[in-house]
Amino acid sequence: MTSDDAQIQEFIRDTFEQNYELLRLEGAGALSQDVRETALQQALFYWRKLRDIAESVTDTEVKLTLPGQTTPAGREFSIYGVVDIVREDTRTLMYDIKTHDADYVRAYDGLYEQQLNVYAHIWQELRDEPLDGAAVIATNLPERLREAIDSGDEQRTQHQLDLWQPVVQIPYDATRVQASVDEFAEVVDAIEDGEFAPRPVEELRARLEPRRTLFATRICRTCDARFSCQSYRQYALEGRGSSELVFREYFSDPGPDLEQENWRTANLLTARPAEELEGDLAG
Amino acid sequence: MPKPTFTIQDLWKAAHFTPNRAQKAAIRHVSGPLYLPAGPGSGKTRVLLWRALNLIVFHEVPPDDIYLSTFTEKAALQLKEGLQALLGHASNFTHQPYDLTHMYIGTVHSLCQRILTDRRFSADRERARPPRLLDELGQYFRLYRARNWDDLTQAAGFNDDASSVVNAFFLPARESASRHSAVSSTIDLFNRLSEECIEPAQAQATLADADLSLLEYLASHSIDPTGLGLLLSLYDTYKQSLRLDRGLSLTDFSLLQQDASRALAAFQAAGRVFQYVIVDEYQDTNTIQERLFFQLASGHKNLCVVGDDDQALYRFRGATVENFVTFPQRCVANLGVEPTVIPLEKNYRSRKRIVDFYGRFMDCCDWTAPAGPYRVTKRISPVRKDRQPSVIASTPGHPDDVCREIAALVRRLIDEGKVQDPNQIAFLFPSVKFRGEMNVQVGRMKEALEDPEIDLKVYAPRAGRFLDVDEPLAMFGVFVQVFEPSPGSGRWRGDYAKFYRWIARAKERAADLMERDAHLERFVQDRKAELVALVSDYRALHRVLERHRWSLSDSYDPGRHKRALHDAAGLSDRAKRLLLSTHFERFAQRRLQAGHPIPLAYVLNRATSLDWNVLDLFYRICGFSHFASMFTLAETASDEGPICNLGLITQYLVRFVDEYVNVISADLLLEDRFQHIFFGSYLYALYRLAESEYEDAEDPFPKGRIPFLTIHQSKGLEFPIVVLANPRKTDRGPQQVEKIVRPLLQRDPGEPLDRLAEFDIMRLFYVALSRPKNLLVIAHFKGRGQSVHPGIRGLLDDHFPRIPDLDLSTLPPASVTDERLPTPYSYTADFLKYKQCPREYMIFRKYGFESSRSQTMFFGTLVHRTLEDLHNHLISSRTQP
Repeated sequence: MTSDDAQIQEFIRDTFEQNYELLRLEGAGALSQDVRETALQQALFYWRKLRDIAESVTDTEVKLTLPGQTTPAGREFSIYGVVDIVREDTRTLMYDIKTHDADYVRAYDGLYEQQLNVYAHIWQELRDEPLDGAAVIATNLPERLREAIDSGDEQRTQHQLDLWQPVVQIPYDATRVQASVDEFAEVVDAIEDGEFAPRPVEELRARLEPRRTLFATRICRTCDARFSCQSYRQYALEGRGSSELVFREYFSDPGPDLEQENWRTANLLTARPAEELEGDLAG
Repeated sequence: MPKPTFTIQDLWKAAHFTPNRAQKAAIRHVSGPLYLPAGPGSGKTRVLLWRALNLIVFHEVPPDDIYLSTFTEKAALQLKEGLQALLGHASNFTHQPYDLTHMYIGTVHSLCQRILTDRRFSADRERARPPRLLDELGQYFRLYRARNWDDLTQAAGFNDDASSVVNAFFLPARESASRHSAVSSTIDLFNRLSEECIEPAQAQATLADADLSLLEYLASHSIDPTGLGLLLSLYDTYKQSLRLDRGLSLTDFSLLQQDASRALAAFQAAGRVFQYVIVDEYQDTNTIQERLFFQLASGHKNLCVVGDDDQALYRFRGATVENFVTFPQRCVANLGVEPTVIPLEKNYRSRKRIVDFYGRFMDCCDWTAPAGPYRVTKRISPVRKDRQPSVIASTPGHPDDVCREIAALVRRLIDEGKVQDPNQIAFLFPSVKFRGEMNVQVGRMKEALEDPEIDLKVYAPRAGRFLDVDEPLAMFGVFVQVFEPSPGSGRWRGDYAKFYRWIARAKERAADLMERDAHLERFVQDRKAELVALVSDYRALHRVLERHRWSLSDSYDPGRHKRALHDAAGLSDRAKRLLLSTHFERFAQRRLQAGHPIPLAYVLNRATSLDWNVLDLFYRICGFSHFASMFTLAETASDEGPICNLGLITQYLVRFVDEYVNVISADLLLEDRFQHIFFGSYLYALYRLAESEYEDAEDPFPKGRIPFLTIHQSKGLEFPIVVLANPRKTDRGPQQVEKIVRPLLQRDPGEPLDRLAEFDIMRLFYVALSRPKNLLVIAHFKGRGQSVHPGIRGLLDDHFPRIPDLDLSTLPPASVTDERLPTPYSYTADFLKYKQCPREYMIFRKYGFESSRSQTMFFGTLVHRTLEDLHNHLISSRTQP
């Protein structure tokens, strides 16, 4: 780690803490210690893995808006999104940074392609700017990398870091913008009309490439609201009978192991002693 | 940059906006201060947005050079989204981006916080470390904490019984030793002192040099000068206590503004950072905020204020309506320039008779004052000119009959399609609760609407205590069943006894649910067993420590300690697993190598910790049929009331998890500590505070329910139909804190003390009367002990249209979309989230549930903002030599 690198890491930590305080003030609620650390880790590893891109960004967090849209039901809306731009001598690239999982992005690249079609349209047509390529940067660290970091084995971490492919190139096609906008409009109507049924159970059984993880494992198992979800319940209890044991397991599943370990470790470390809490709140 | 080849008219056309003459003038105004007294429904927010657009698009003012503020988070979000939507139209013409990411657009408080960390306000361009903000509950607990309260009051010169002394000062007639009551009154006073910029030393001096007239004033208002002296000293001590070590500091909402003002005063060029300063709802500014705005505008002098003095409701928060009423004179005094005055008086909201009615109502009060009236004179003219009756009263009578008549009318309005959803009919009350209990009139009205014959449902989570509403009662009831808190021995009286009666009711409610749901019953029993096992494990491990004479603070060395702990007699398999986990082993080793070994106490806590915290417990309980059905109701948009209440519960729980206990370990379960902390302290405080009903609670208006609101909550909103369901508010004279603060003010006190309450009540009803678009219904109570505000009663004469006279065919149906700005939707946070799972989207994005483990918007925004700062940092280090 060079001194310059150390300085940047220090900068990331500082600005991260300040942003956390500011966001809380804007009414954003709170994040527990382990989740906060996961977020910080994403920022730090973005820098470590993608320093070249970070250092070449020329326009950051550019807000793109597609105004004046109408849904089939007649509701007016606009679409917005945020991207980062790298302008080089001969080409201009658009990056969409997401805290998503790269595997999920690859599995559902159609959705992301639609998104970048719309962004590219706004950038090229409405703003009259050149564009030569677009990609999603998925900052969520893969499980194996997190395990390696957790092991404290720097060599293993570096190896997993090398294997990590957070940049997903997305082909875009300006002729398909209208179809994407139309689909977006339908979603707006569905939201406004209050259509919020969960995904059907068959979709929870779908496997996400490239590691063939189940949708239910990758997405549902990290969702707090899974216990009250009809589809998830059906998925989780199906074919396992309705014995007491099955039910018990269902209601005591704390979610993925590594998350649970991090949750326990980080939050216990910053926990306030019982005496202090009692003193604080004593009536 | 080339001048645009299109005009603002082109944009108006594109956005289907036809401004009137005054609106056009206000939008086009670009130089010097601007004063916009605006009536209700006059499109003032729209004007502000277009004015900002005009500056950005046609006058090339960078968005970062504009300061645009308002008073609530909700209003701030509307401003930001609205401006974004309008600028979207401009982008279509200019092919140019307008980036608002760094624009100062938000509440005064959030902007103060930004000022404190903004490099533009510091000479060396260093970013300062912002003070950590205590919100209202945080401020309460900071003072309420027994140790702190004792330390502070003793340092300020109180004797041992500070709470009684403080209570005797605020409520001389009632003897009380309640710390809760003393702290609540103290906070009210402190916040007012901060907002009025009254320095304790200065006030002490005023008191020490008191002349006869001041002493007479104090005596006539039962203000004890010695008590006041002590409280001022306590205020001073409190402020000092917020300065912590290592340059860290705390602040509260009121002092935050002083911090910002001081930062501006310390930086010479502060008045030139913003070319334009625009403030919405200016009638709600207090002294310190006015000072801030003049400071920010001192360089360019482009201060634009918009507001309506008739809708000034925030005196209790130090708002000084004179700041708005006499703005032209104040502007001359502070900026040396007279403002351009453009009244916005065309009303686009309400039908003619509604506008006439509230105009006549305001005329029934004498607003004349020795130096100009206490009110800005206005002439509001409605755009909707139809002369059909749009204000009706009930048949005068006993409240029970009035409520029945109104409920039947509401049923008809819904059945005949005059509204699309019950949530378009708002019931407004001057207050919805009294000392934490539901106000009698609110209860009557609710009962009438929920009568099986009428069969409507009301949404009124803040009427009475939120914890008394069925969803929190049932949910916390299950918590009670799991943790079994007890009030301790002794005979309890007062609030504490009442709270434990609530606990008993909650427990009973849950017992009822458990009886009907065997799964829930089993779940609760399992959790209880888990708690018992945890404590037993803790004791087993502790015995090992004792045997080896190890102390809890000893450093953990796996090589030395692990085996012995693992072999503890009677230790459960679960605890063994937690002790042996490789994750933990590595963590312990890493800490040891880094020279920060973890103490044995940590190891014991870890081995005896639950897999869930209170928020996790909440989400699991939601899986049982009683609660799960509430989600199902929401998934099909049939009744949103229950899920909204569940969402509110998560806000309480996340706060507890964040600030008090996240992982629950056995040391917290010994001697019922956790039970004391969670029930006996945290929930008890919430129960007693029962949130002031004036809070800007941004409660949703769930579909399928009739919303009951305080008039305060209704400010800034409009509804197709409004029922003024209690037109009575008794004038009890000014609040005690007004009387205390008045002789210490560093400014002209403004309205006379003996008329404050009268004016405030007039403004309160004015706000209520000006909310409806199509129909205003007034409850007309008559009979023994009943009354109606004299200003309203005077207008309800024998010829006044009554409910039985109303011809529903003359009433236009409510439209959903009119006046609505296009809604901005995010590709990532809306579209992709919805696509991933519509249900998850609904729970976390639409109903704002606080998450325990799910990744939320907050997570994404935090990462993005940090990477944005990183990029900016890298960009600027590339471009700087």
